[in-house]
Amino acid sequence: MFTIRVNGEDHTVDVPADKPLLWVLRENLKLTGSKYGCGQALCGACTVHVDGQPTRACVMPVSAAENHDIKTVEVIDRDRIGRLVQTAWQELNVPQCGYCQSGQIMAATALLTENRSPSDRDIDEAMSGNICRCGTYPRIRKAIHKIASEQL
Amino acid sequence: MSSSGFTRRHFLRVSAIAGGGLLVACGGGGSKRRDNRDSSDGGEASDAQQFAVGEFLRLSSDGRVHILVGASEIGQGALTAMPMIVAEELDADWSRVTAEHSPVAAQFNNPYFGSLLQFTVASATTRGYFSAQRQVGAAVRQMLIAAAADRWQTTPSSLRTANGFVFDDANGRSASYGELAEDAAQQPIPENPPLKDPSQYTIIGQSKQRIDAAEKVNGSHQYGIDVDIPDMLTAVIARPPRFFGQPQSVDSNAALAVPGVREVHNIPSGVAVVADDYWSAEKGRKALEVSWNELLAGRTDSAATRGEYTGKLDLPGLPIRVDGLVPVAQLAAAENRSADYFFPFQAHAAMEPLNVTVNYTGSSAEIWTGSQSPTIDKLFAAAILGLPPEQVDFHTMSSGGGFGRRGNTLSDYVRDACHVAKASQQPVKVMWTREDDMKGGYYRPAAAVRVAAALDNQGNITAWSHRAVTQDVTASLYIEEQLDAIAEMELPPLQELTDLETGMPYDIENVLMDAHLTIKPEMPALWMRSVNKFTDVFAQETFIDDIALRYSRDPYQYRRDMLTSKPRHLAVLDAAAQAANWGAASAGRSQGIAVLGHWMSYVAQVVELSVSEDREITIHRIVSAVDVGTAVNPDLVVAQVESAVIFALTSVFYGEIELRDGVVQQSNFDDYQMLRMYQTPPIDTVVLPSEEAPGGVGELGVPALGPALANAILAATGETIRELPLKNLGYTLAPQHRA
Repeated sequence: MFTIRVNGEDHTVDVPADKPLLWVLRENLKLTGSKYGCGQALCGACTVHVDGQPTRACVMPVSAAENHDIKTVEVIDRDRIGRLVQTAWQELNVPQCGYCQSGQIMAATALLTENRSPSDRDIDEAMSGNICRCGTYPRIRKAIHKIASEQL
Repeated sequence: MSSSGFTRRHFLRVSAIAGGGLLVACGGGGSKRRDNRDSSDGGEASDAQQFAVGEFLRLSSDGRVHILVGASEIGQGALTAMPMIVAEELDADWSRVTAEHSPVAAQFNNPYFGSLLQFTVASATTRGYFSAQRQVGAAVRQMLIAAAADRWQTTPSSLRTANGFVFDDANGRSASYGELAEDAAQQPIPENPPLKDPSQYTIIGQSKQRIDAAEKVNGSHQYGIDVDIPDMLTAVIARPPRFFGQPQSVDSNAALAVPGVREVHNIPSGVAVVADDYWSAEKGRKALEVSWNELLAGRTDSAATRGEYTGKLDLPGLPIRVDGLVPVAQLAAAENRSADYFFPFQAHAAMEPLNVTVNYTGSSAEIWTGSQSPTIDKLFAAAILGLPPEQVDFHTMSSGGGFGRRGNTLSDYVRDACHVAKASQQPVKVMWTREDDMKGGYYRPAAAVRVAAALDNQGNITAWSHRAVTQDVTASLYIEEQLDAIAEMELPPLQELTDLETGMPYDIENVLMDAHLTIKPEMPALWMRSVNKFTDVFAQETFIDDIALRYSRDPYQYRRDMLTSKPRHLAVLDAAAQAANWGAASAGRSQGIAVLGHWMSYVAQVVELSVSEDREITIHRIVSAVDVGTAVNPDLVVAQVESAVIFALTSVFYGEIELRDGVVQQSNFDDYQMLRMYQTPPIDTVVLPSEEAPGGVGELGVPALGPALANAILAATGETIRELPLKNLGYTLAPQHRA
C-alpha cells in the first residue's frame, strides 16, 4: 500500500512498489491526461510535476512518489501560468493529434514558472525532452514567447 | 468529386426530435444489401437503430448544431474542417457547432473511395467529403428558410440567413434556427439546393480554432488508450522475434505466478498475457517462456533487400507512364546520365502506441480504437468474433497520430485484439508498448529508384526515365485468406494508393516510368505519409539539380523553363522562391528547391542551410508555398505543412528500420530518433489564394522537403545524396540556438 498526494489529495493504492507512477495515475486514479509514449523517459508524454519539477512519470516507481506533491495536467488550470499556457495553446492551434500535449504543457508551465522570459535556447533546453511526432514545435515555441512577452 | 445532388446512398431524411430540434440522417431505407454498404440491414430497423446509424446532423431547439464526422481525426483537423464545410452552407453560428466521430456506417463512407468505405488515407478527407457536406448544409438551410416563410406567410426568396438565424429584412423579423428546427423538419427536402459562390463564404477560408483544442490542452480528450470500461482487463502480446513465427511451446507457469496475471492465451500472432492492469501484464510477459517455430518466419534482411532491389533496377519493370520514345531519344542524346537511389524501411512511430479495447459478450461486441480504416476493421472484427457486422459497435477514437499505420487494410492490430477477446471472453484492452509498436512491422517499405536523362548539348532534357523497385503495400490484401471474410466487400482501386510517381511535371517529350512491385507476404509493409512519393520525388528532384549543376543552370530557373505549361506548379515554385529570397542567401549559406503536384495540390519548398567541415548541417530556414485549392481552414493547412516538414526532416536525417536476418534492430526513441525542439528550424509557409476544388493537405509537405534539402547540400558541398537517411552518410543536424 502506498499513499501518494496527487492534485492536492491523498490516494492510497494497493499496487506493487515498482509500478510506475504513470500507470498508477492512469489505471488506479483514472487520471488519463498523462500519456504513455515510450516507457523509458525518452518522449515526455507522461510528464507530471513532482514538487513543481517536470518529471517523467513512466519511470518513477510509485514507491518513490510517496511524500511528494504530484500535479497532473488535469489541474494545471489551477495555476495561473498553467492557465496561460492552455489558453495560448488553444489560440495558436498548437495541438494536432494532441497526444503529446499534456506533457508539453506540463513542461512549458514548469519552464515559465522558473523563467518568465525564456530565450530560444532556454526553450530548447526545457522542451527538447518532449517529442511531438506531429511537429508542433514551432507553435509551442511561439506560444511560450507570446505568454512571456504579453502576460508575464 | 463532381457528384451533383445526393447519391442514392446519401439521400437525406429529416425528422423532428422530441422537445424540438431537428435531426438529419442520411441513407437508410430504399434497397438494402447484405454488405458493408448498409449496416442497418437485417429486417426493419427500429427508430432507435436508425437514429444511431443514420444520424448525421442534429440541430437542437437551443440552436446548437452537432455534426458527426465520417473521417478519422488523426491530428489533421478532420473534426474541425468537416463541420466548417457543413456550417458554411447551413449559415450556422460557428460558435455553437460541435462535432464527434460518426458510427461506422455506409452513410459516412468517403465519396473519394467511391463511397465504399470510411478510410482516412491518401489526403482524401476534405477533397472527398467537400461536395456532400456542402449539400447537406445547403439542404437544411433551405428547409429552415421554408419553415420561416410558412410561419411569416411570405416567400422564401425574400428571406436571408446568417449566423444561425433566418432574417426577414423587409419586415424587420428574425427567427433562430433552434426555434425553426421543428417546423423545418416537416418541410420537403430540396434535391439540388443551390450552393454558395465562394465569394459568399463566411466560414470556409477562415482560420477557425480547432474544435478539439480545448480538450487537447486539459487532458480530457479521449484516445483509444484512455478507454476504460467496467471489469476491463489489460493484455500485452508476446510476439515472435521474426514476423509470422508461431508459438511452438509455451511455458506460462512463471507468467501466471505474477500477481495480477489472469490468463495466457495462444493467438495466431503470438501469446497474449491478460492481467488486471498493464504493469502486471507486462511483468507476466517478461516471465513467459516461449519457443518459436520459425519455419514460416520472415527472414527479410535490409542489406539483402538493398542488393535485390539494386539488381532489379537493371531489369525493365511494368510501365506506368510512357510518352514518346525514350530509347530513340537516348540514342540521339549528347549525353545520357543516370543515378541510382536507395531508401530503407521506416516506422510510422505515432506517439500513441497501438491499442484496442474490445467488449465481447458472445452475441455482440463493442470495440474502441484509433483507426484510419474503421469499415474494414469492423468487418474483420465481426469475422473473427463470429458476429454479423451489425452486432459490432465500432467506436472510432481520436488517434494519437496515424501516418498510415492505423489504416491497415489487413486490420492487424484489431484482429489481434479480437482474438484475445474471443479467447478471454472478458472486456479487454490490448496494449502495445513502444517496443511492440516499433518492432511490430507494417513499415514504409524499402525502395530503390533509378532516374536517367537524355540531354542535348545545352543540358535540355530530351528523355526522362524513372524506375522504382519497392514492395506492393496493397499486395497482401489480395492473397490473405482472411479476405474471404470480407469477400463481399468492394475495395477501391488500391493501386492508386501506392502513389507511385507518374506525375513528373516537366515538359519533356519522351518519358518512360516503370516499376517493380515486389510481393513479400513475409514482410509486413504499409503506406506511410506520402507513400512512394517520398522516394520517387526525392530521386526525381535531386537528379534535376544534378543536371542543372552540370550544365551551370540555376535550379529554380531550370525548373521554370520546363514548367511553362504547368501554371499551378509554376505559381508555387515562384512563390517559394520569392518568399525565400532565392539566389540571395548570405555568404556561407546555400539553398535548394523542389516542387511537386499531387493530391490535387501543389507545393514548392526551399531549404537554406550551411554545412560545416565535419558535416554538421545548420538549417537556417525552410519556406513552403502551397496551392491546395480552396483552403477550408488556412491555419490548419499551415499546421499540416509545418507538421510535414518536421516529419520529413525526421525521415531524411534519421528514418531507418534495419532488419538483420528477419529481426528488427530498433526498439524505442533512443535508437529510432525523432526531430526535437532544439533541432527545429524556422519554418515559413505561404498559402496561395485559390477558389479551385480543395486538394489534399496532410501529406503534401513531405516529399519535396528531402530533395530541397539534398539540393542545398549539393549546392554547398558538391556532394550528391543518393540514399537516406543522412545519418548514415555522416551528417548531423546542428542545434538551432547555441550557447
